[in-house]
Amino acid sequence: MANLYQSLELIRPEIILSIALLVLVTCDLIFHKNKKYIPYIALGGLLLTGIFVIANSGASGFAFIQSELMGKIGLLAIDNFGTYFKALIIITSILIVFFSFSSEEIQKITDRIGEYYALIFGMILGMFFIVSSVDLILIYLSLELMSLSSYVLAGFTKLRDRNSEAALKYLIFGAISSGLMLFGISLVYGLTGSTNLYVINMMLQSPNANLFTLAFANILIFAGIGYKISSAPFHFWTPDVYEGAPITITAYLSVASKAAGFALLIRFIKTTYVSFVDPVGNWQLLPVFDWKSVLIVISILTMTLGNFSALWQNNLKRMLAFSSIAHAGYLLLGLVVFSNGGMLAILIYFAIYLLMNLGAFLIVMLIANKTGSEDIDDYNGLGHSSPYIGIAMVIFLISLTGLPPTAGFIGKLYLFIALVDAKMITVAIIALLNSVVSLYYYVRVVKHMYLVKPEKEAPAVIPNLSDKILLTVLVAPVLLLGVYFQPLVDWAKSSLEVLGLM
Amino acid sequence: MSESLLINLSVAILFLPLLGFITVVILGKRFPKLYLLEVGIVSIAFILSLVVMFAKLAYFPKDIIAEFTWITMGSAPFAGSFNIDLGIKIDNITVMMLFVVNLISMLVHLFSIEYMHGDKRYTRYFSYLGLFTFSMLGIVLTHNILMMYIFWELVGVSSYLLIGFWYEKKSASDAGKKAFIVNRIGDIGMFLGILILWTNYKTFTFDAIYSQMAAGVMPFGSSAWLTAAGILIFMGAVGKSAQFPLHVWLPDAMEGPTPVSALIHAATMVAAGVYLVTRIFVMLTADAMLVIAVVGAFTSLVAATIALTQNDIKKVLAYSTVSQLGYMVMSLGVGAYAFAFFHLVTHAFFKACMFLGSGSVIHAMHHEQDIRNMGGLKKKMPITYYTFLISTLAISGIPLTSGFLSKDGILAGTLAFGKLTGHWLIPIMAFTVAGMTAFYMFRLVLLTFHGEPRDHHKYDHAHESPKLMVAPLVILAGLSIFIWYTPNPIGADAGWVLSSWIKTPAQVVPYNTRYEFMRPSTEEQKAEVHGEITHSVEYTETMHWAHYKAMFASLAVAGLGILIAMLFYLWKKVDVDKMIEGKIMNTLYRGSLKKWKIDELYDATAVNGTLQTGNGLSWFDQKIVDGAVNGSAWLTRFTSKLSGLFDTYVVDGMVNFTALFSGFVGLSFRKLQTGKVQTYIVFVVFGVIILLLLFKPF
Repeated sequence: MANLYQSLELIRPEIILSIALLVLVTCDLIFHKNKKYIPYIALGGLLLTGIFVIANSGASGFAFIQSELMGKIGLLAIDNFGTYFKALIIITSILIVFFSFSSEEIQKITDRIGEYYALIFGMILGMFFIVSSVDLILIYLSLELMSLSSYVLAGFTKLRDRNSEAALKYLIFGAISSGLMLFGISLVYGLTGSTNLYVINMMLQSPNANLFTLAFANILIFAGIGYKISSAPFHFWTPDVYEGAPITITAYLSVASKAAGFALLIRFIKTTYVSFVDPVGNWQLLPVFDWKSVLIVISILTMTLGNFSALWQNNLKRMLAFSSIAHAGYLLLGLVVFSNGGMLAILIYFAIYLLMNLGAFLIVMLIANKTGSEDIDDYNGLGHSSPYIGIAMVIFLISLTGLPPTAGFIGKLYLFIALVDAKMITVAIIALLNSVVSLYYYVRVVKHMYLVKPEKEAPAVIPNLSDKILLTVLVAPVLLLGVYFQPLVDWAKSSLEVLGLM
Repeated sequence: MSESLLINLSVAILFLPLLGFITVVILGKRFPKLYLLEVGIVSIAFILSLVVMFAKLAYFPKDIIAEFTWITMGSAPFAGSFNIDLGIKIDNITVMMLFVVNLISMLVHLFSIEYMHGDKRYTRYFSYLGLFTFSMLGIVLTHNILMMYIFWELVGVSSYLLIGFWYEKKSASDAGKKAFIVNRIGDIGMFLGILILWTNYKTFTFDAIYSQMAAGVMPFGSSAWLTAAGILIFMGAVGKSAQFPLHVWLPDAMEGPTPVSALIHAATMVAAGVYLVTRIFVMLTADAMLVIAVVGAFTSLVAATIALTQNDIKKVLAYSTVSQLGYMVMSLGVGAYAFAFFHLVTHAFFKACMFLGSGSVIHAMHHEQDIRNMGGLKKKMPITYYTFLISTLAISGIPLTSGFLSKDGILAGTLAFGKLTGHWLIPIMAFTVAGMTAFYMFRLVLLTFHGEPRDHHKYDHAHESPKLMVAPLVILAGLSIFIWYTPNPIGADAGWVLSSWIKTPAQVVPYNTRYEFMRPSTEEQKAEVHGEITHSVEYTETMHWAHYKAMFASLAVAGLGILIAMLFYLWKKVDVDKMIEGKIMNTLYRGSLKKWKIDELYDATAVNGTLQTGNGLSWFDQKIVDGAVNGSAWLTRFTSKLSGLFDTYVVDGMVNFTALFSGFVGLSFRKLQTGKVQTYIVFVVFGVIILLLLFKPF
């Protein structure tokens, strides 16, 4: 390990995270009477990690070199693409810490708050490794690190039966998926003799492997990833777990773990199955497996299933769960194009999705804090009794639908531009029709908040100052990015580069 | 002072009123004293604009542009790649407009403190003024037509809010709606014009569009489209500057508070249309300019004839504003660019002074607006009287006033235009209007301030307005004196405003689409750099020829107008009531009093037409369509049973199927979600198998 020092330098954010995790656990043991400071330690750890993530931007290279036979290839690829997703994950985590401050559910388990944050840090560490790992074994390990933490978190509050139910379902479903994925990985290893994506790519350039087995392996690996990004037909756990888990964790799962999943999917396909990128930015796929058709079918299926199922949901958390499935479908469309333009659309869409989805969950949480319910009938008249919450919710829902002048429109705009550029008009029209369907269930919430008269007087949900600030932090960029989005586009453009062979 | 400081100051001037608006509108209910913040902010903006104006005029001969890229589209479908830039452009007319807008806005703020005192939405009123000031400054500063359009709509909104400020009064809320809708008609044209430009030049920035035009790129390859674009954009100005046929909203807008009328509906917002035309002046072809000149001249004539007989003090001023705006538009149309802008500035001051003066009178007379109930106020309100008189002299074009300088220039411009092109009707109309203006303005002054008081009760209670209200009058009347603009009271050309501040820009349209007098005529002119020629040598000579002729003619008609007004209303040598009993005179009088029934015409045609179309369609639906359906059903009683069955099972079935399809799909999807994890796993395994079968490589 001659390059150990260089490798460690490249993974500084991960090191800081591990240290913060240890500090958290230690502090939890030391201050077992007074846990007031634990969240602040977590926050400090996240901010420090964030600083190192930013400091790492622009750095590129392999950490932990495995083989130098065909150029230097390592376990981890550090590049701008990874940094972008790591930044998104850190932003989400920081926001989730603030969510946890004001969540009633989390208030009730203050005595176990140390474990709570330790588990979240475990998830973050797993996600960071997922985002940059280029070795199937490491991918699998970090996926498990993330999953195991999230299984526990899903049932962490143990306040109601449905918490435990959610955790158990998540665990069983996750176990099956990761089992399938492991099977797929073993097949790929058997076919190519390597677990490193770059080596596999080279082996597949001159294919003499059995293509049927390879297709089988690919679908199995996709089962593992698809479960993380909750794409059909691997999405079944999503509504049940999202409904059962504490809202903070639901929000976290819907954004951060999805971000990691998408980063993994993009890196996996781009590194393993793309032979070269032409000057215009289109990716040339290796002719060994028809990823394009698979992904088109899956993305259309995912968004249609998500949108149509959401039509009937009366529980807001469940509705948002289906909506997040639908958004996974839209995001997959960006990959279907197999071009830099499509990837740009995914990066932009995800940053915007982060803001609007977290915002919607925050409002559901604030209302649930007050009324103890996530049922749509308990939203009747809330728009009038709680104007700030009402207006913010309308903005988030409009953005989720993808209408101007909100950021959601910009996300969809870039996505559709990529589709039309690739001459995939039919797919674009299907996606557009799906947006129309989604309008129904999003606006239904607005209707209940403003137009349906409540049976008894609607409770006034007046957020306190810190919640107001948190809401504003989410609302302001959703509106601002709707009119001035060039900085985000520039950032995403500079993050397009996925590390290639040196 | 560096260029970047100037830019920063201009941006600060733009956003300060917005800051005031947001603060006051959010916190105004809780802190009623917050209106002082708004007044303070506008005063700061005024001081900054003063600094910016002098710095720009003294030290920066070149235009200053600051911009940033708002949107970059690498490859948009159907449009290719393009950038949309936002930014500001600071040239001489920008800084002068900044000064005018901020000065009048500040004075109106001060005036309103007393005038609006005790109103129940007092702070809200000031926040709206802040919103208006922000939007207006946006129009002035922007360097591209997209932002111009955005701010254009924003001033429309703030104007709507302020016209309908006393919305409990039906006439006020109606007037607000009318202004908004009538403006919308003009804005459609402007929007189409913008689209023509954007489709062809892929940019919204004025300078970028003009440099492409100068290089010979025509919209859709034809200069006819250029004319169309010019006229369409001018339609926006027709709406905003209340030009015929869209002038009907401005007199009604007088339902708003009087200081608002002074700020928005006399001095600044309505001048935005003229400002827009100055911005697009260089891309106007001769045809477009002729249209503009005719619209302006006709507007000013129609409005002047209506103003002759109105009895509401604010209505007279409103029609006089329409008439003067027509003057400016006409002046641009005949190529007298500098005088148009000059008149915009001078008119802003004396018209604001008159409106605020009328506000002072209305305030003193306890909201009496009918001049037939006034009279003799000269003794009670001397300061209001003298400031009003100075502005009246200015608008009538009497020497030693600012109005004389600018109006004389416009008249000379029309005269030269008539001589060079043969369109003599335009100067004739212009001189007629000049005479009428002098008449109706003196009629107003004489009826209001001179003679015996006609309503003694109100007269006895009248008093001079408080200091905070008369101070703006004095300042504005002071600015209506020639000395601020030129040292020579009869030669505006010698002054700094015309000789160095306002420069006529060179046209960018091809030579063959320009007026002859805007092409280079001599060899020397042709030898100069292309596109730098504003007027031919003949034009300059003709302007010299026209200068004194126009001056004497305008003095003569103005004097005549004043003399007739004196005869009618001061010395009472002619009995007006008797005069209008004659048949022809009576018809004319009634026509003018009823505003030539243009409103009624619109009610009968456009408004009623829309309503009638709606009614007609509904009638058609009920009688014809339903009747036909019923009739055919009756006729085909036997087959109807069959068709009924068909209807029930096939047509309805299809309709219901489509309607419920989404729901059904959703429901069946929901059935998949059983809640049992065993089932989920079965689905996953089957999913994998199906995917494999679908996409197996052989």
